[in-house]
Amino acid sequence: MTDAPQDPSAAPEELPKDLPEATSRRLAELEHGLFTSDLSVNEFLLIKEVGFHPLGLVMGSSIYHTGIQTRKWGQSQELTKLTEAMYNARELAMTRMEEEADQLGADGVVGVRLDVNYYEWGKDAAEFIAVGTAVKAESGVSHRNALGKPFTSDLSGQDFWTLMQTGYIPQGLVMGTCVYHIAHRGLGQTLGSAGQNVELPNFTQALYEAREMAMTRMQDEADRLEASGIVGVRLEEKSHQWGSHTIEFLSLGTAVTKTSDEVTLPVPTTIISLDN
Amino acid sequence: MPDAPADLPEAASRRFESRAFTSGLTVPDFAACLQSGLRPVGFVQGFCVMQWSWYGMGSPYNRGLSPYGGGGGGYSETYQCPHGYVSAEHRSWGQNYEQSWVEQAWSQGFGLAYGRMLEEATAVGAHGVIGVIDTSDRLSDLGVVEFHVRGTAVTVDGVPAPRGGQPWTTYLAGQRLTKLVEAGYAPVSVAAAVASVRVWAYCITEYLLGGGGSAWGGQQSSAEVTQVAAARTAARQLAREHVRAQLGGDSLHGAEMVVSEREVGEGDQEIQCLLRGNRVRRFKEFDPVAVPHPTVRLS
Repeated sequence: MTDAPQDPSAAPEELPKDLPEATSRRLAELEHGLFTSDLSVNEFLLIKEVGFHPLGLVMGSSIYHTGIQTRKWGQSQELTKLTEAMYNARELAMTRMEEEADQLGADGVVGVRLDVNYYEWGKDAAEFIAVGTAVKAESGVSHRNALGKPFTSDLSGQDFWTLMQTGYIPQGLVMGTCVYHIAHRGLGQTLGSAGQNVELPNFTQALYEAREMAMTRMQDEADRLEASGIVGVRLEEKSHQWGSHTIEFLSLGTAVTKTSDEVTLPVPTTIISLDN
Repeated sequence: MPDAPADLPEAASRRFESRAFTSGLTVPDFAACLQSGLRPVGFVQGFCVMQWSWYGMGSPYNRGLSPYGGGGGGYSETYQCPHGYVSAEHRSWGQNYEQSWVEQAWSQGFGLAYGRMLEEATAVGAHGVIGVIDTSDRLSDLGVVEFHVRGTAVTVDGVPAPRGGQPWTTYLAGQRLTKLVEAGYAPVSVAAAVASVRVWAYCITEYLLGGGGSAWGGQQSSAEVTQVAAARTAARQLAREHVRAQLGGDSLHGAEMVVSEREVGEGDQEIQCLLRGNRVRRFKEFDPVAVPHPTVRLS
């Protein structure tokens, strides 16, 4: 390996304090040329094709006590404590994964999966995990993001290849979240409009607001990365373990920066498969 | 950038002030979009939460209330029992009818959410909205249904911002949209409608659905349940008519029909048919795609 990271022997001591000891041994091995990755063969080849080399599987985890927050029965409102908890926990997991990638001298992490797990042993506690494959440019040119950290993205190898052909490069997996309590309806309200299918403007407005807040927070993250845009935006909704009236709205996407105006993607050939 | 309409949430206008674009497209669709000269400007969306109950006008759960009420709609068909008086429980009548109040409520909810998405798109100066997705989901246990329509607002390279006119919309994105435009069709708007038909089973339908057809009707056990078949045919037909009424001479491309049914009681059901597609208009001579290259997988 000619493009080995600077001075591998010094690396384990510099390891951030919050990574477990087993990590440093694994990462040290990775630095000596062995790589682990959960990429498929095709993804591996495509990533090589655009000049990147996988360095290793990196992960970060955070077990977070999400707690409870009192809700007003008849009022729609954001539960800011829960929002913060959900956000911080994911952020911690992502940061730890970035630290692992940083340790490897990676330019970025592709195929990031961000999961939430609940265990029986931990009431109100959830484990947030981020796993991905760290990659480094073979040319030696740094592709780190505006904050000097390895970029992260949930793109597959295929998507990564395609994106690079459009003149964009990923900057980071960006997210925003908003935990919202939806008001219960009073008996009077329910009876008042019984028998009609009509709009409930208060509910429309509340849910609209909640999702827009999640998206705006995601956009704020992208702005911090000085990104020119976010691709593959998804809006997810989960009630986790809070009961049906409390919903987490999570918005996720990959922030990208334009590196060139040139779209080098060839015009696709139309094919017709004669297989059954 | 024009001012955002006053009824958009505050967070939405703040989101549009950011200089970064947002796109709900997948990477392949995003690439195809750039390749064909479309530039994503923002992920846009609209919502409408509606109270949703099945106790609407003309649709009592209780069979005894209004046997021949009808839904005030166009389609209605009655079925008479051939047996004469049997017992008070015997269903001597049956009826299929269009529940136009459900159809209207659906199109109101969809229309409001769609209109709000268009407002967001207008606010970002979009020419069109691609990759539209619409869903209507029951929201927790509230007895309410939420309509959510979203898509990616785009501008066309080298064309000035639209004045006054509404942005065009399409369910398509990526290569499928590119191919359609290359072939000479321009997207106009999405078109969607629901048809709702209620089936009140009469004795024969009830027993056929219960698997005991021979007892009352004298038929074979594999006889057609004509009342249900008629209701399903009518629902499909009505959905087509509703969508056709929206086309105004344009054609519908890539239509999708989803039929679902809900049991209301023994033999009684409600059939819903959702038809959605892309309203498109020819803007140049038909230009078919290049002859595709045949491939065979050697595996």
